[in-house]
Amino acid sequence: MTIQIGNYSLCLAVLVGAMVLLLSLASIQRQSPQFLSYARRGMLLFAGLITTASAMLMIATINTDFRLDYVTHYTERALPLGYKLAAFWAGQEGSLLLWAWLLAVLSVIAVFLHRAEAKEKAFTLAALAVVCSFFAALILFAANPFKLAEVVAADGHGLNPMLQDPGMIAHPPMLFLGYAGFTIPFALMVGALLSGRKDHDWLKAVRWWSVASWLFLSVGILLGAQWAYVELGWGGYWAWDPVENASLLPWLTGTALLHTVMVQQQRGMLKGLNAALIAVTFILCIFGTYLTRSGVVQSVHSFGESLIGTFFLIFLAITVLASVGLIFARRRDLQPEQKMETVIGREGAFLATGWLLIVVTVITLIGTIFPLISGIFMQQGISVSQSFYNTTVGPVSLLLAALMATGPLLRYGKNVTSSLVRNLTAPVIVAIAVTGWLWIRGIHNGWALVAGFIAAAAVVVITVDFVRSAWIRAAAHHENLFVGALRLVDGNHRRYGGQVTHVGVLMLIIGVVGSSQFSVKENFELKAGQSAVIGGYTLTLQKLEEVRRENYSAVQALVNFESSDGIAGTLIPQRRFYDKSEESSASVAITSTWREDLYVTLAGWEQEGGRATVQAIVNPLVSWIWIGGIVLTAGGMICLIPRIEPHHQPQPAMAPVEAKVIEHKPIETKSGKRHGKSRKQKVRQ
Amino acid sequence: MNSIKLKLTVGAFVLLLAVSYLAIAGVKKGWVYFMPLDQYVADPTYQSRRVRLNGNVGEDQLQIDRAGLLAVFNLKGQSQQIRVEYHGMIPDMFRAHHEVVVEGQLGTDNVFHADMLMTKCASKYQAEGHPKVQPEAKS
Repeated sequence: MTIQIGNYSLCLAVLVGAMVLLLSLASIQRQSPQFLSYARRGMLLFAGLITTASAMLMIATINTDFRLDYVTHYTERALPLGYKLAAFWAGQEGSLLLWAWLLAVLSVIAVFLHRAEAKEKAFTLAALAVVCSFFAALILFAANPFKLAEVVAADGHGLNPMLQDPGMIAHPPMLFLGYAGFTIPFALMVGALLSGRKDHDWLKAVRWWSVASWLFLSVGILLGAQWAYVELGWGGYWAWDPVENASLLPWLTGTALLHTVMVQQQRGMLKGLNAALIAVTFILCIFGTYLTRSGVVQSVHSFGESLIGTFFLIFLAITVLASVGLIFARRRDLQPEQKMETVIGREGAFLATGWLLIVVTVITLIGTIFPLISGIFMQQGISVSQSFYNTTVGPVSLLLAALMATGPLLRYGKNVTSSLVRNLTAPVIVAIAVTGWLWIRGIHNGWALVAGFIAAAAVVVITVDFVRSAWIRAAAHHENLFVGALRLVDGNHRRYGGQVTHVGVLMLIIGVVGSSQFSVKENFELKAGQSAVIGGYTLTLQKLEEVRRENYSAVQALVNFESSDGIAGTLIPQRRFYDKSEESSASVAITSTWREDLYVTLAGWEQEGGRATVQAIVNPLVSWIWIGGIVLTAGGMICLIPRIEPHHQPQPAMAPVEAKVIEHKPIETKSGKRHGKSRKQKVRQ
Repeated sequence: MNSIKLKLTVGAFVLLLAVSYLAIAGVKKGWVYFMPLDQYVADPTYQSRRVRLNGNVGEDQLQIDRAGLLAVFNLKGQSQQIRVEYHGMIPDMFRAHHEVVVEGQLGTDNVFHADMLMTKCASKYQAEGHPKVQPEAKS
């Protein structure tokens, strides 16, 4: 029964998707609100159908229904429940279904929250319907998870041991939420541009959806990095692997968009750039899925080649052409409303941020597809190694970090060169002191010194700006400093959420520099009771032993460690032999402090005599990456949540600014614009 | 007004120059030819350079010493093969008949010395023996 329901739901979803498209186009042509209302309900039905199909697949994986080919290949009876759930997206078909499901749900939310003229709503709906139908058709025709097995097996093949990691449960859904989420800003843009909308109110929704998608994408990437860090053979938390790059590309353009879109909202500039960034980010999300799913580029994470590559390529081509055509056709609407008055102002900094991020995107894209490009022009392909990315992306990232340091000190349309010099004096002095301290501590590495300098300056600027503003506010309103600080943040979520995010990114940079430049690695052959020393840690092999778990047996080493400052414990690296897998796989053991990670792997052992080979790595500052990630996430969430405390200004019936984000009213012509501006100014007080 | 445009242009130009310089430096450092094994063996031009090779792990004379962090094996192409000595952590999925990518340089002993080994194991992510065309599922 579940199989039939799943199959029929997919078939119907394709039809309903197409219907939504036709109905929304018809509603524009006939100016019929009735058709639009049908189309909206059609979208709800589409989401319902995809949800049903997903639920059926989920039931099948949980019940290990081996009538399905897909279930047979990715589960086994003894698989723990969490991984049975995750087996849903372990393969091609299921991953695409997850993508489609998330897209369908987000589309419905977007459609029902969309406040705009009927025509704009209809165009947005049509754009969403195209993407939704594409995914539904792709799954039904090229990657159907409900394909029956030729023979019903007694037990399944089990989930690949490398995928039996908590990362498998959380990383793909987060990443796909980010990917699917960036479809919404694209659809909103299509609606706004095609309906010829002239104001900037629609950008609030674009920004809200972009921040949310960006947040999920960031969390997804970080979870992936964490997983790759503990999985041997994936080259650490970041290896510039094509699959990793595929997720980074839309993140980079998405980050650029979050900055440049504010210039359009506040000043009516950079419209063309924003339109391009919205389109490119969406296209890169599709491209990323294509890259990981088509197997065109060699990767450690390859997922197998298949026909769906062709589907994706055609869809990509259509999207690119349509976007270019749309932006070209609406180029008159995308002219700036005013000229830039100064480079050393906020708009200049946002523009520079945008361009630098685009540069990083282009570098990463070229590096990723270099084997393909060079394959066209030369007889043999050329691939670029990690050092290509590190030498190019590294300096540009530090430049971006330096821009973060100036962020809070800049104003729109005002040359602040003189005050900038004044305001930067103290932070630079602190930064020099920090760099000097690093030098004295024996750190003479150029990357570390420059990164330390920039990060110190930026953190001081952000902190001083915040404390000073909170102080002024508290004094003016006769509040205590803590309440003043909270109200300050509540008064401008976007600004202070952004600053918190910047602090997170700076921590991340420190972590990356520390762990990439100062990592120590050594292999030890130890007998029980023997000790070895690495980077201030003493390691002692306690014993080797065999253990049995639910679906694997393992050989494990009990390694006692003691650091020079007295922290002690036991690490248990394993080599696991999964029942359903021919290869053994390593499970590493890690202990973390804020200063460094001790990373221990059981490389091998002698059957007799209990001698083990242990690889130990001391990775400084890795935990800064993860904590930076948490801080970054917190910052993003501050940006997203609506204002908590109502306005003090007498403004009846005026909802909080951030809450209005997704429910903007139909445009009230020119007066609406002026109205919006005055509200902004009040908020900033 | 014009001075703003000029400043922006100059800024963009400087940025472009700097990044191009970085990119060229990066490419020089990280430029690796990659090719199928047969072509590498047939054409000596690239044998003095660091390259990335793609082939299958031969079953005969396969030595895997996980404890010693050493793998010595024959990398096989369509018709040619080459002896490879790899030092480093051995990936979990390294074994005979699997497709691997190695990066390194040919030594004077005619053995390819690799310091990077990637297991390409599409068949394990995309389940084994997955037939690409199968009769349409009729429920």
